[in-house]
Amino acid sequence: MVLTPPDPERFRAQVAALQSAVDGGDANAFRHAFDAMCAEMDSGLLPELKRITAKAQSALARFSAEARLDTLAGHEVPDARKRLTHVVKLTDEAAHRTLDLVELCGPLVDEAARGAARLLDTWNPSGGRDAAVNDFLMRTRKDADALRAHLSELLMAQGYQDITGQIIRSVIALVDELERVLGKLVQIAEGVEVTSLVRSLPTPANWEQGLGPQVTGIANGDAVAGQDDIDALLSQMAAGK
Amino acid sequence: MSANLKFLVVDDFSTMRRIVKNLLQELGYNDITEADDGNTALPLLKAGAFDILITDWNMPGMPGLELLKAVRADERLAKLPVLMLTAEAKREQIVEAAQAGVSGYVIKPFTAITLKEKLDKILASRAAA
Repeated sequence: MVLTPPDPERFRAQVAALQSAVDGGDANAFRHAFDAMCAEMDSGLLPELKRITAKAQSALARFSAEARLDTLAGHEVPDARKRLTHVVKLTDEAAHRTLDLVELCGPLVDEAARGAARLLDTWNPSGGRDAAVNDFLMRTRKDADALRAHLSELLMAQGYQDITGQIIRSVIALVDELERVLGKLVQIAEGVEVTSLVRSLPTPANWEQGLGPQVTGIANGDAVAGQDDIDALLSQMAAGK
Repeated sequence: MSANLKFLVVDDFSTMRRIVKNLLQELGYNDITEADDGNTALPLLKAGAFDILITDWNMPGMPGLELLKAVRADERLAKLPVLMLTAEAKREQIVEAAQAGVSGYVIKPFTAITLKEKLDKILASRAAA
């Protein structure tokens, strides 16, 4: 940025006043003329200075905005996707590990129950069996049933991985769109003409492909409240046929 | 014999396929094949004599609704019982699935009892048909 040199003509009057003050030895007049000349000088300089400052500021702001967009589009958003994908992988592994253990425990429980039942059946109660052993075998058989039920619940509980996985996957799809939009914004900031931005905006998920699980706190429109609601709706439809 | 029924379980999440498989085994069904979306399921259905299809809805590739429609449109598969096991909960989706000929609809998360109930119902009407 180069300052426009001042026009000497503008200062002719002030120079003449200065000269006359010097010639006359008039200190007050000299001071007055000098101030006037400085004021004239400033009046030309200030707007120019303001213009340069503003330009520098907006260039700086633009630069940092572009740099921020670049980081967002180039690193942070793709990283967010990797993080979410990693969460899905971790929950998948944890759920499978749990299922491994459930499958290992099942036969152990069955074997304990079978063993207890066998002993209870084959030993003659009147044969003098220890009452404590008898109680233990009865309890083992009963506990095995409870354990089997708990294992079944443990199995069902791993369904969370499917539900959370579906929800996270829909967020990943959103992140993908965000990355695309940010990429376009970077192009716009760099001055590349982009007209397809609006056209490239994400289309809402359609229900034929599937919308994913309901999420508490997010408007769910006309969603059913649960299995009972579905059963009622289906039997209503069947009756209306 | 009902225990010899041949199941195809379709879900893109391997954990869910495994859960359903375990539940079916607990119910005494041991002939279970898995697929991860409609595109892999359909050729299996056309090739093998499956007795019942349990499918998720929201899957990449071919979603469950499309698979259901493809099954009903196929002359040889048209009567196959199809149980939808999904988190999809919009009324219009359930109506659409019913109109497309779904045999049962179980919402996730579900219980072992619900799955058993719906299966029993489907199998009873299959036996009556």
